[in-house]
Amino acid sequence: MYTFPKNLYTDIRIEDVNYTEITYRNGELAENLRRNYMGAFIRIFDGNRWYYSSTTDIDNIQKEIDKLALMAKDNEEIMEHPIVKKFEVNRGEFLQFEGKGILKVDHKEKLALLNSYLPILESKEEVKMWRAVYLDKKITKEFYSSKGADLKFDYQTCSLAFRYSLNVDGKTLDSRYDKTDIYFDRLKGLENELEKRLNNDIEYVRHAKPVKPGKYTVIFAPVVAGVFAHESFGHKSEADFMIGDQTMMEEWPIGKRVGADTLSIVDTGQILGSGFVPFDDEGTKAKKTYLIKNGILTGRLHSATTAAALNEELTGNARALNFEYEPIVRMTTTYIEAGDKTKEELISEVKEGILVLDYNHGSGMSTFTIAPRISYMIRDGKIAEPVNISVISGNVMETLYEIDGISKEIEIISSSLGGCGKMEQFPLPIGNGGPYIRVKNVTVQ
Amino acid sequence: MIKEKYINRVKEISLNVVQTEVESVRKKDILKTGLRVYDKGYIGIAGGLGRVDEEELERRAIDNLSLKVPYPYNPSKELKKEVDYREDVLSDEDFVNEIDELLNILKDEFPDFTFSNKINITEVETRLVNSMGLDLGYKDRLVLGQLIIKEKASANVFDALALYIERQYRRELFLNIIRETLEAYRNPVKLPKEGKLPVIFMNYDITPVSKLIDELNGYKVGTGASLFKDFMGKMKFNENFTFYQSAEREDLLDAQFFDAEGVVNEGFKYALIENGRIVSPYTDKKTAHKFNLPLTGSASGEYDKVPSLSPRNYKIEASDKTLKELLNGQLAVAVVIASGGDFTADGVFGTPVQLAFLSDGERLIGRLPELKLSGELYSMFGEDFIGKSKDKSFLGQNALAINLDVKYL
Repeated sequence: MYTFPKNLYTDIRIEDVNYTEITYRNGELAENLRRNYMGAFIRIFDGNRWYYSSTTDIDNIQKEIDKLALMAKDNEEIMEHPIVKKFEVNRGEFLQFEGKGILKVDHKEKLALLNSYLPILESKEEVKMWRAVYLDKKITKEFYSSKGADLKFDYQTCSLAFRYSLNVDGKTLDSRYDKTDIYFDRLKGLENELEKRLNNDIEYVRHAKPVKPGKYTVIFAPVVAGVFAHESFGHKSEADFMIGDQTMMEEWPIGKRVGADTLSIVDTGQILGSGFVPFDDEGTKAKKTYLIKNGILTGRLHSATTAAALNEELTGNARALNFEYEPIVRMTTTYIEAGDKTKEELISEVKEGILVLDYNHGSGMSTFTIAPRISYMIRDGKIAEPVNISVISGNVMETLYEIDGISKEIEIISSSLGGCGKMEQFPLPIGNGGPYIRVKNVTVQ
Repeated sequence: MIKEKYINRVKEISLNVVQTEVESVRKKDILKTGLRVYDKGYIGIAGGLGRVDEEELERRAIDNLSLKVPYPYNPSKELKKEVDYREDVLSDEDFVNEIDELLNILKDEFPDFTFSNKINITEVETRLVNSMGLDLGYKDRLVLGQLIIKEKASANVFDALALYIERQYRRELFLNIIRETLEAYRNPVKLPKEGKLPVIFMNYDITPVSKLIDELNGYKVGTGASLFKDFMGKMKFNENFTFYQSAEREDLLDAQFFDAEGVVNEGFKYALIENGRIVSPYTDKKTAHKFNLPLTGSASGEYDKVPSLSPRNYKIEASDKTLKELLNGQLAVAVVIASGGDFTADGVFGTPVQLAFLSDGERLIGRLPELKLSGELYSMFGEDFIGKSKDKSFLGQNALAINLDVKYL
């Protein structure tokens, strides 16, 4: 199909993207978009440096390959280069969404679905400003390499996202209710959940008081536990931070204890949802990778470059935001595994603490941060008054040892409007989640 | 029927740096075209990437009128303006060679650190043309370097940052930003005291003003969801505090002088808070019309989407004082990385600070331990507001100075 330049490694990723976005703002149709485009990303490697080109000129990919090859230097040994040797060579068509694909759903049906939820938002006088969004995306990717990869696969998600600003007796709150799934029909019948969320938020804003800053035992709901796993340890597991760095390799040897012995964190591209990545953007098949198992550092996330540099195995985590970018090491679906307590037991064992049910954003370096949106005090083992908190934070490596309770229930959440940011590539769809987790000595501001 | 064309082109060379070596060279030339038609109060849009058949786009845009997206506002008209801020930069080949040389200098001068991430030259062109005589064009080109710095002996993912944003590439300027950062980094210091202290933020850091931007959203004000809903025209902040939407040449980032609806503000700026008084929220045509608010030209939108209200570039008006003069002999906490903080719904601010230095207003003196900052919206831009410097003495950027409560994390 393509003529690959001699003595160089080349791969090509072609993306065919179908995208729908319907938005209502305060009852008025504000967006009704159907978009389809194709783009390609070409990579050439000469053993010393990578050369990339992003193009929308799909008919002239061969020309673009030939032009890019002029920048590289001939390397007769390129196929023996450790990075090139690492690449998997997968072939075949893996089209899972041809029959049940989102493209089979009529646009009017999508519009009607979104419309069916609007009366709930319109019925609440406390909801002053709102936005209701339906989104779907189906991407079919082709991947070819000079090593012999020849792949075609697809994935899709569809989402409902409700954003609303409340004003209750002069007190305000920006909140949301989101649902993302693989299949359109699963976005139906969410009326009760949306109504319940709205009612809870209204009661929350009516009664919330500023928190007294200090150190608390904090229980994270699954959605918050997911972002905690992602920010606190997921990013540290991305092996591109370790390349050529002796200190990091000595600090993070596989087998080192890094947290409580009840803690296990997994990343996998195999779970259907927004973190579903059947093959990554280097053609590597999805794997399940334990980052931490029973408190022990067990694995990390790799591209071919990082796997070769650390002499470890590929994990299927080389991902690009879209055809304009090169793949870098990213998470897929990251979650904490279930423990042995019930949510009720976790709460009942806390004298004074905080339950964080939802968040606005999180970040993680040596210190992790989560900006909670909905939080409640726990007093004498019971959920008490709602509190406003600007940020909770802690030292990552200390906090992982402070986890002293994990619930049996586990929930995986797919991102809808947002996603993960790393350097210039934002927002990348990911999934995350986990059980309820209880963490001691968290700084609350 | 009115026809309108929105074109956005981005040409870029991007060098990825890993362990103080250029690891990859990426070239990009992406053209996006949107064709809009306005008819009987509705808008129809179709877009395409790369070379497009404009007649086919127009047919699709007309078809999309049937999607019934209301747009009962007059498209902008009878204005021709062309702005080209591009300055000469290196050719692609020279750029790669120059960055190789720059990295060799860094390896020699700072053998105990490694440098990673991107250095790009990005050229953007945006054009909005319609059948009502509107023809607006904007061209710009920026050199943007964002180097992540890691101390070799450190177990952190990264330890410091160096940011370079200019229209020209100047090796010495970039090097001096890195030198000042790392000289101070090597000198651990303590806070003069815990408690209220002057804190300075870089010009591009929106952390301290994020709540203002959220609450000045015109739709939020109009619907009564904003904290400021009853405060239009009211004096709520320091009389020296002026906050405005800007597309001035000196802004570098976001200097496009027209919005997605073709609105051009006089002098390319619009004050939302003037000398402490809240003048107006920011608005697009729909918001201005719906709530009878001034039109501030704050519509954004991708090439194939309906223009809609979204924040653009907001900045605080600089004072006539240098940072040294603003600090008036006090030492300040200079914030370089403050990630993860936020305001509560009622305006209480809190953030951890992962990297901060002590500054005398002219230079960074030394590196502080991790800190936490707290404040309150009305105080931060009221009694605790010190001012924005006229000089660029905070790592090559203007600095915003505010008194905040500072404690060790």
